[in-house]
Amino acid sequence: MTRAALAGISAFALAYLLAGTLQLPVLVYDPLARVASVSRTVSGVSMRYFGDLLLASAAGLATAALALRLRPRAPMPVAAATTLSLVALDVLYYLSRLLVTA
Amino acid sequence: MSDRALLLAHAVLGFGALFAGTHHAAHAVLSALGKPQTRALRRFGWIAPVAVIAQALCGLAIYPAYRLRVRAPDFDLYAPAVAQLFDFKEHLSALALALVIGASIAGRSDDAPDARWPIAALSSTGAAFLWAAAIIGLYVTARHPL
Repeated sequence: MTRAALAGISAFALAYLLAGTLQLPVLVYDPLARVASVSRTVSGVSMRYFGDLLLASAAGLATAALALRLRPRAPMPVAAATTLSLVALDVLYYLSRLLVTA
Repeated sequence: MSDRALLLAHAVLGFGALFAGTHHAAHAVLSALGKPQTRALRRFGWIAPVAVIAQALCGLAIYPAYRLRVRAPDFDLYAPAVAQLFDFKEHLSALALALVIGASIAGRSDDAPDARWPIAALSSTGAAFLWAAAIIGLYVTARHPL
């Protein structure tokens, strides 16, 4: 179960990062018009946070389910280090964006 | 429910998630150090994810109001750094959601010795992100509440 959790979190972190950086088409919500659509870009007050989160959650759940079925044999320390590295990559990327603005 | 009531619920649920996540992390570390924590990990193995999911749903519900009433008329025009800080908090919250849920499920069902440190690492990282998100959330709300 821990390996499946690690795989799921890795996929979540990777999908969340790629969805934003590669501008993948996701669910976008315009709170002014109260309209949801699928789009690559956002304009005005539209927001893609829901879509990015949805995409990453789907990727994480699917990967965890796949890992439960396939039962990967990677050593636990390697799997854990990979997962935490992907999470750290996300944090460093978003921290760099914050520091550029500040 | 009004936006302010939702913000209050988000804050209360956020602190619930913060403390449940921190408890889970503490028990996971103790377990990794060789002190049996099976009952505590089972208990916080459902409390922590339920609390984190509830506060995330509440946060998502008030996000449109934040966008329209706080970010667009204030932060985007006069404090773009605070807008970016809020975005950073949202990213930390998203990662914490995955980390706490993953660590909780693994902690409930995996007693293998080689899984203890990875679970402790996931849980501790998730708890640290929750703390950072809570502090940033309080700062942003103090700058401009809903």
